[in-house]
Amino acid sequence: MREKDYSSADDQSLVRDAQKGEMGAFEELVARHRDKIYARAFSMMRNEEEAVDLSQEAWVKGWQRLSQFQGESGFATWMTRIVINLCLDQLRKQKRHRTDSIDALDEESGGVERQLPPVVVNPTAGLERNEMRKRIDHALGQLSYEHRTVLILHEFEEMEYKQIAKTMGCSIGTVMSRLFYARRKMAVLLADLKKSGEDRIAE
Amino acid sequence: MGFDKQIKLQAHLDGELSEKEAREVTRWLAQDQEAVLMQAELRNTRQAIKGAEGFMPLPESREFFWSKVKREIERQEPTSPVVEKGSWMTAWRRLLIPASAIAVLAIAVLISVGPIDFNRPGSVAEIETSYGDTGAFSYRDEAAQATLVWLSYPADNEVADSDAADTVQ
Repeated sequence: MREKDYSSADDQSLVRDAQKGEMGAFEELVARHRDKIYARAFSMMRNEEEAVDLSQEAWVKGWQRLSQFQGESGFATWMTRIVINLCLDQLRKQKRHRTDSIDALDEESGGVERQLPPVVVNPTAGLERNEMRKRIDHALGQLSYEHRTVLILHEFEEMEYKQIAKTMGCSIGTVMSRLFYARRKMAVLLADLKKSGEDRIAE
Repeated sequence: MGFDKQIKLQAHLDGELSEKEAREVTRWLAQDQEAVLMQAELRNTRQAIKGAEGFMPLPESREFFWSKVKREIERQEPTSPVVEKGSWMTAWRRLLIPASAIAVLAIAVLISVGPIDFNRPGSVAEIETSYGDTGAFSYRDEAAQATLVWLSYPADNEVADSDAADTVQ
């Protein structure tokens, strides 16, 4: 029997075929969206190995829960929610094994950035896109996972406060304060990065 | 500027305020230079992050990654997760548990009811005939005061027919 060609099918029909048990259709979905799912896992975990493992786990879960996918959102969005939840579970587990009292304090109070005056100049203005991405990625890596996650969900996944609260298992008030502190820290970190970059050029 | 005010400025920027609250924030912004600066910082940071998500390819080939996913799917669930509609095996499995429960219940009721008076008018006459049937077996538990009867099939006349057929051959 000739094998079915899935490469030209759209996501919706691939999902329908996969729901009937056709693994070839699911393989095509994995091939199409694996980079996006991995990128989200990496942005949350900041570790390549963990991101690969968690994105693999997300695809296994995706297959197992495929019958629950009703198509209210796109398939890639649905898969992204699965990997985000897996990453959050993993980050919570890791946090339980760590004693980061300073991080915990910063998480509650917003750290020293809360007291600083507003950063007046746009720290990424005039930067090339790649340079800006690198700096932002570096700054994101310096945030606590709670602050980083709230930024990712709001700015990249475009979730509302209510959705973020549900995903992270906290109140809307906590989402608002985490988002505020995360943005303030990012502004300060980016300004510092810009300053140190300019100093290097002056030398 | 108080924390509540800062949080409201942010919610205004993110479009999460009611119309009334948004009007209130607009009034502050017209009067308070610090609020204007804070909102500018929040806006700049938000815009910078929004446009900064880069392309991040998975550091494994398509074939290798899929082989790992497939192996794990098969390890956790050797058969397809999608159940075929109308499968008679599925229907049979669904029926098996309630049928077993009914059988157990029937035996329990039979045991608890006690001895059956076959001479009482209206009692089950067929049971009396089963004693004469060579294909019927009965079990009497004196302690539980209960009698169980098994009827074997095919019936005697069918067995006789089948025996006759064997003989012809």
